[in-house]
Amino acid sequence: MRDDNGDKYVFAACTYFAKNHPGETCGSNGLPLTPSSISILGRAQRLLNIEHPNLCTYLDVIRGKHERIIVVTEVFGKSLEEWNTKFTFDEITNIGLQIAKGMVFLHKQDIIHRTLADDNILVDSCGRVKLFNYGMYYMTGGGSDVPFPLGLPRYLSPETILNGGGPAADVWTFGIILLELCIGKLWHNLKSGPILRRILTLVHAANPAERIAREHDCFEAYKLVPDYLRNVIEKCLKIYPSERATFEDLVAELSQNNVKQLDDVKKPRGLLGCKLQYLYYWWQLTGGDIQAELKKNGLIKNSPPILSMPIAILLDGCTIGGKSGALFDRRIAKYSLDLLKARLSHIPPQDFYPLMHERRKDYDAVALPKIIRERDTEYQFYRLLWFQRLLHGYPYTTQYIRAEAEVDIPPLVRGDVWAALLGVKGDIEEQYERIDKETPTPTDRQIDVDIPRCHQYCWLLCGPSGHRTLKRLLKAWLLTNPQYVYWQGLDSLTAPFLYLNFCNEARAFACLSAFVPKFLHKFFLKDNSAVIKEYLAKFWQMAAFHEPELATHLHDINFVPELFAIPWFLTMFSHVFPLHKIVHLWDALLVEGPSLPLFMGVGILRQLRDTLLDSGFNECILLFSDLPEIDIGECVKESIEMCRSSPRSISFRRFTNEPATKDPMDVVEIPLEVLLTEISPRISLSDFFSLICQDKCCVVDIRSNLQYEKSCIEGSVNVPYSGVHLGQHDLKSLGVQPHKVITDAVKQKKIIVIASAEDETAQLFSDYLVKCSVPRVCILHGGISALHSHVPSLFILPLKKIGTK
Amino acid sequence: MTAETIGNTTKIFKYSFPTCTNEDILFKLEVPVEIPYDGSTRELVQRVINMFHIPVYLEEELNEKLAHYISEETKDFHNKRDEKLLNQLKNGELNVEGIVKNWEKLFKENVVEFAEQKGTSDEEVFAAAYHKLVHSPALDTILQVENSYAKTVMTMLKSRDEDIQKLTKRQTEEMEEKMRLLNAGTTEEEINALAAKHFEEQSLAAGRWDSQLDALKHTQRATHRAWLMTTLEQYQGETELSTPSNSPLATFPVEPTLLAAPKPRLEESFTIHLGSQLKQTHNIRLVAADMLDLCAVNHDDNGAAARLQPALALYSGELAGAVLLADSAPRSPLLRLAAGSTEHHFDDINTQLRRIVDALRDPAERRNLERAQQEAGSGNGGSNNSRSRRALRTGDVYITTHSNLDVHVVFHLVVDDSLKSGDITSRHPAILGLRNILKAACCNDVTSISIPLLLRHEITEEMTAAWCVRRGELVLKCVKGFVLEAAGGGGAELRTLHAVLPASAPALFTAVQSLIPTVFRVAGPLRAHKRSDPL
Repeated sequence: MRDDNGDKYVFAACTYFAKNHPGETCGSNGLPLTPSSISILGRAQRLLNIEHPNLCTYLDVIRGKHERIIVVTEVFGKSLEEWNTKFTFDEITNIGLQIAKGMVFLHKQDIIHRTLADDNILVDSCGRVKLFNYGMYYMTGGGSDVPFPLGLPRYLSPETILNGGGPAADVWTFGIILLELCIGKLWHNLKSGPILRRILTLVHAANPAERIAREHDCFEAYKLVPDYLRNVIEKCLKIYPSERATFEDLVAELSQNNVKQLDDVKKPRGLLGCKLQYLYYWWQLTGGDIQAELKKNGLIKNSPPILSMPIAILLDGCTIGGKSGALFDRRIAKYSLDLLKARLSHIPPQDFYPLMHERRKDYDAVALPKIIRERDTEYQFYRLLWFQRLLHGYPYTTQYIRAEAEVDIPPLVRGDVWAALLGVKGDIEEQYERIDKETPTPTDRQIDVDIPRCHQYCWLLCGPSGHRTLKRLLKAWLLTNPQYVYWQGLDSLTAPFLYLNFCNEARAFACLSAFVPKFLHKFFLKDNSAVIKEYLAKFWQMAAFHEPELATHLHDINFVPELFAIPWFLTMFSHVFPLHKIVHLWDALLVEGPSLPLFMGVGILRQLRDTLLDSGFNECILLFSDLPEIDIGECVKESIEMCRSSPRSISFRRFTNEPATKDPMDVVEIPLEVLLTEISPRISLSDFFSLICQDKCCVVDIRSNLQYEKSCIEGSVNVPYSGVHLGQHDLKSLGVQPHKVITDAVKQKKIIVIASAEDETAQLFSDYLVKCSVPRVCILHGGISALHSHVPSLFILPLKKIGTK
Repeated sequence: MTAETIGNTTKIFKYSFPTCTNEDILFKLEVPVEIPYDGSTRELVQRVINMFHIPVYLEEELNEKLAHYISEETKDFHNKRDEKLLNQLKNGELNVEGIVKNWEKLFKENVVEFAEQKGTSDEEVFAAAYHKLVHSPALDTILQVENSYAKTVMTMLKSRDEDIQKLTKRQTEEMEEKMRLLNAGTTEEEINALAAKHFEEQSLAAGRWDSQLDALKHTQRATHRAWLMTTLEQYQGETELSTPSNSPLATFPVEPTLLAAPKPRLEESFTIHLGSQLKQTHNIRLVAADMLDLCAVNHDDNGAAARLQPALALYSGELAGAVLLADSAPRSPLLRLAAGSTEHHFDDINTQLRRIVDALRDPAERRNLERAQQEAGSGNGGSNNSRSRRALRTGDVYITTHSNLDVHVVFHLVVDDSLKSGDITSRHPAILGLRNILKAACCNDVTSISIPLLLRHEITEEMTAAWCVRRGELVLKCVKGFVLEAAGGGGAELRTLHAVLPASAPALFTAVQSLIPTVFRVAGPLRAHKRSDPL
């Protein structure tokens, strides 16, 4: 099992510096050059997704200060270099076979290893083999992003030394490693120069393997190597790459002669049975510090910066003097899970395997703000395991996922959960493949201009791979939605999906494709003015509904939503907030549905309430041109509260994806021109009915006294419109009793429904109430007559006034 | 080292398939493919199918064929290239020695295992020791010792000045006396001889004092460094600290001097947010002061207060810097300022400057030559022959490091008279130089930097109020962009920016003060949320 010393460590980190760009600080497009470390970070993302039994999983790539890159990967066993015992030929065959299997996989992915060496081939006590840090050449763009040479001299193939070398160079290196395993270390005490010279002279040899053996006085030992193995080695060590075997050939050949069977290792249970990525994540939450260990091992040295100050910078950016960065150190720092084990030691074994239908216990942490929950090891432990379960069962578990996502979404699986919430399923890769993302289109120019300005503080999105993928996504979306055009802001809208699915372009695309019809139906039409107008009018009504005082003020200074809220809704706030806030906002959005954004807009206004109330038009413009910090947690909480407490029909919009309702009880639709003039939203008859039943509303009947006394809605108060002085913004002027009823209703958070015989008076009166700062005012759609014809049972003969006193 | 140096090629993928009706008639298809191909072959197939209207039943086959074709061609591409290289090697057409030397050098200079074993440099050892000591109880002693060293130098400087003043006075009197007698007995030759003699005396005196000062500083530096190292050893052993026996503290008892109240300065701080989505917070401090005053350490008190911050941060990642405008040679006031006390950590400023001149000569001249050629090429060459002799041009920057000033790093920005003009643009070399400075500051952990906001140290007559505000706005806006840009560079975050205005114009200060909120998003006061009940 995993208790012997070699297996104590679970992951390891190595670190190096990326190359600084010399001189010129601007690229050809006039923008600053991307730092090499950013390019490396972008490329390395692909490695994080590679899983193979003979490859160590990449866990994290960190960009540190001053172009430092830290790579965290799985580690196990010991490297070939550390195994001092000599292997038998059977063992060598088996190790070779496993290496070759890993290499076949890499070459299939078009990843060249180049740095294969005895110190990055790990073997555990059972004889299992994994390749470690095989992505160095790949992530550094073939070594062009780092100042140091890749690989070790003795493993370089002749053509690599001559600055050539493709995948076949790895075969040569593999041959050298097998040969070393058979006859011992090669060129042991030589310096790099002589080694390279010797390798180059091998080109004149007919049989380089034999030649090497002779050079080392090991020809006899070499002759003792079984024929098949010698054969394999010689096939690898051909001078011309075209003559060398491929790894597929080698796997076939080695498996024929492989007699050693690996004992099946029982899959560990409990903590060590969890996904490595989760372990790493929890370990970090527990306080695991990658950099600290690197520092302890001297792999990160802090030289005082003042000692490496350059002495001059010429105008073209050419820096003179100053010491270059530290040397590349091949050593690694290893980490054990002790910290995490101790932290989670009290968790009973059954908790590692949560059952879906089991009654779940609540954690105390649920009450804490989301940001704190996201940093709580134990909470994330339970949530992650639970979500892993649920996601495993997707799409059959959609409703459970939705219910859990309402609580919160663990950051580590946010991409998966969002896709589930958006209903992404099926063979999305193939669908995405079919879209032509390369052929130039007229919008390319605009896209190219916008992308380098889109969430560039994010290191993933600001690198070349981020730019390329974002462009592909946008083009693909435009091509599959010919009815739409590219509106600026679409890039921001795509960014969160790309950020969460950086290596899964197809899923990012599928999420975007599902998101737009749900939340931004028809927003990207060439002429989207009607859609936007309706949306903003609705937003304005919601503001008047929940924040009457603020809405009145903004009305008075003529600060209309067209001036500030278009980017909010067109990009679902992704243009105005940084990614780490967008994800929380959208977590709620995806769960609550398309009416939430209206209330989020109100939530933002509410946070700025005090400032806005004191500001005039110019101050407001200035304030919104660069939105101040908003507490997103608070904003989300309040907007959900507002959304849930508002009847559904008041946020009805015509331009949505939902089927139009024909039931007169549910209809609230009015022509756009009318909507634009109305301050307060309309409530449908059915919503009104359910409010009445729950005693959650207060009905203000503004018909004349005469009509009211004939028949009225039970519990309503009569304020004849003709008697209201619209100029006097004081509820008291309505009379004692109406004043009392309305103030009580506001106190009890009831919704105030205005029922009238005609729409105009209802609107004017609702405007009056809003100006009196009465919240939650809405108008009964169709007025008294509609209600009377559909729900006559609500009507009674009013009691005599004396009775109410 | 990289395979990319050898260009890619374009190959034509050929494919043919029979028509539905007639097996013998073939549709032929030719697709150019770049080798090595860095996209997905399956996507390429889809594009081909769409473009040439190929029947979908061929999709699988096409997928397979194209993938195979590309992988074969890629292999072939690598193999051919390598074969050519290897053949060249076999035939001795390559400079094997050069290639091997190059690799050897790369390994030696960049990889630990192959590098020459060298320990930590003396500089770093001393830096570590000093940094440790100033963050220990020894701090106070160190500061006092350093301050008294500085006082000794000051005293010597003072007596030098007095001495030379006396000499000058005597000489003037003597000369006047002679002059009076000019027509009565003395000849012009005699006066000339006297003048020459006086000059000689002057330089002799100055030289004597200079060498004395040098010697003093040298001794101080050596003693101080030795004392620090022994102190560190002691400190690691015990906690008690002893004052060095040869310390000047013995001769200069710590006298409680009254803390002179600092001169009142016009200054105001702003907290600003930069960035459209993710907001970074920075501080801007607007100061009306002479740049040199800001650089100088106040020696009048016991030094503890003024020296504390620079000493603590000297070897940390939070350095303080200042931008000084310079001609081709550094301004003399900084020289005087830096010479005012012993430089215990770095070379003294003259040595640093000499080194800079030496190091810069070649690259700058090469650059100037290139530029001249470019200008000649574009047809407006030869216009400024006199300028081409100067190694440094407007916008170039040289950097000196100091431990005896209030800032650790001084960026000398080379400027010329073109800055007097009222309408410089953001492409002016001085502004670009400023950009390089801010970038270098970020990359080298300078977290606080002072900038002459008007790019002029003094007010001159062409600088009208409108001129100043326009210039201030330009520089602020540019700096805003540069700070944002530099933040992406991956170094330290620039925390505080001191925008320095000439001290002599208080009206200007107010004007610029009102400018800042229009250029930056200034953080408003934090307001407590009152949840008001709306009725």
